[in-house]
Amino acid sequence: MGIERVETGDAELVRRIRAGDIGAYGVLVARYRDRLGRYAVHMIGDREDAEEALQDSFVRAYRSLDRCNDPARFGAWLYGILVNRCRTTGARAARRRRLFVQDAEALNGASHADAMERLEWTDAVERALARLAPEYREAFLLKHVEDLEYEEIAELTGDGISALKMRVKRAREQLQKFLREAEHV
Amino acid sequence: MIIVALLLATQVAVQDPRLERLDPETRSSVIAIVDSAREMGLPSEPLVQRALEGATKGAAAPRIVAAVRRLAADLGTVRTVLGARASTPELEAAVAALRAGASVPVLASLRDARRGPLTMTLSVLADLVASGVPPDSAAAVVLALAPNARDVDLVEFRRAVERDIALGAPPAAAAAVRVNAGARPGTAASRP
Amino acid sequence: MFEQDDDIVERMIRQLRRPVSIDPGLDARVMGEIAAAAQPGKRRTWPWLAAAAAVLAVVVVTRPWTLDPGTSRADAFQFVLVAPQAASVSLVGDFNDWDPARSPMHTAHGVWATVVPLAPGRYRYAFLVNGVEWRADPAAPNAIDDEFGTPSSVVTVAGRGS
Repeated sequence: MGIERVETGDAELVRRIRAGDIGAYGVLVARYRDRLGRYAVHMIGDREDAEEALQDSFVRAYRSLDRCNDPARFGAWLYGILVNRCRTTGARAARRRRLFVQDAEALNGASHADAMERLEWTDAVERALARLAPEYREAFLLKHVEDLEYEEIAELTGDGISALKMRVKRAREQLQKFLREAEHV
Repeated sequence: MIIVALLLATQVAVQDPRLERLDPETRSSVIAIVDSAREMGLPSEPLVQRALEGATKGAAAPRIVAAVRRLAADLGTVRTVLGARASTPELEAAVAALRAGASVPVLASLRDARRGPLTMTLSVLADLVASGVPPDSAAAVVLALAPNARDVDLVEFRRAVERDIALGAPPAAAAAVRVNAGARPGTAASRP
Repeated sequence: MFEQDDDIVERMIRQLRRPVSIDPGLDARVMGEIAAAAQPGKRRTWPWLAAAAAVLAVVVVTRPWTLDPGTSRADAFQFVLVAPQAASVSLVGDFNDWDPARSPMHTAHGVWATVVPLAPGRYRYAFLVNGVEWRADPAAPNAIDDEFGTPSSVVTVAGRGS
């Protein structure tokens, strides 16, 4: 539709928001929506709950923006808010996780058999994730899917680095086991 | 009979000033249709809204009257299928589904498949067809989802199919694959 | 054996790293919540629409549990149209008697928006641009019939009342 998008850094946007330009926050939301959404969807396992957690986190972040000490690292700070918010939804993940997985390639011209196989794999992945203890899942996703450094993860979760490394290692071991089990079903 | 109709027409005209937006000839035709619909226990609001839509869009009188008449007829049809306790939103959604190609037997099957309001189920069916999913495929997938999916699941399903279509998936395939992802043979029941 | 096992986890990681698309309507919901809380008289709340220009905002469909059980309470919905060249845009539909004067839209930076309360139900609607041009909502389902020759969209609101 001919909309121009100007790339402005997070720090500058935060500065503008603090000066009263609420609209600048919308740019931050658009910028981080999908990336944070990915974490929320895999952590919580339910797209709708994930979007709710995501929405809450964005609103919470706006309201406590004055507590963002390093605007250049707004993204990491926002992650921290989301990680905490996802922890409170954890209890509901006890019911079966339903995930409508976006898989466009599976649909584009793929045979029905291929599409089914791909869907079974994505389902096996989500089921394996669901079987992990929440703190293992959290550490695993932040490290391997969201690509955060251990130092960053430690900062946003408040956990120690060696504890985090142990959780990630355990998570990998367990996932290996779960996926192998799924293969033999 | 004519006197009664005139009396009723006066009442409606007094009660619903919105219809003043129509020219007198159109207004009296629309009022007649609304009144007979009311007598049959059909809701009048959708008919009034359809007439107002035509008025705002500057449509010619015959077109407005035809649209209102067609809607009244369709409301009657779907009310026969859904029953007298169907709400106005359910009836409106059912008309949309009917016009999207869902047959009366399909509507009856949906009614039987699901407890609670059918508004979202029928709306999603109509919306899927509007996105390009062939009517038979749309009916089949909605029937498959109707027994267990919540309203929010149906909305999510519709959005997901539209996203896939926007990304280039053939519409019928987009709907079918998504249903298969939710209910596959050999897996445990979809409830824990 | 070790390599094989590691491969399967790596394959899983690749799967998980695939982009997940979140409903872009979320942006509008977030900004709506924030704008609603903004104090009147403090700052114009409409400048936030400039941010919405980066997004084709969609009609918000409320989740059923946000409505009181047993009542058909209306919730506020935001309608947005990006139309930088327009001088005026009205929202018209089944919820406002198709009356262009009822829901004129407000603009900032070419993005037009308005908020309307909607009780559960199914509503046809369209945008009237410059008083003459009819546009459907590009981000909403199309209405099945356009018997008056102009495009319309549909919004369905879930809830106990429906």
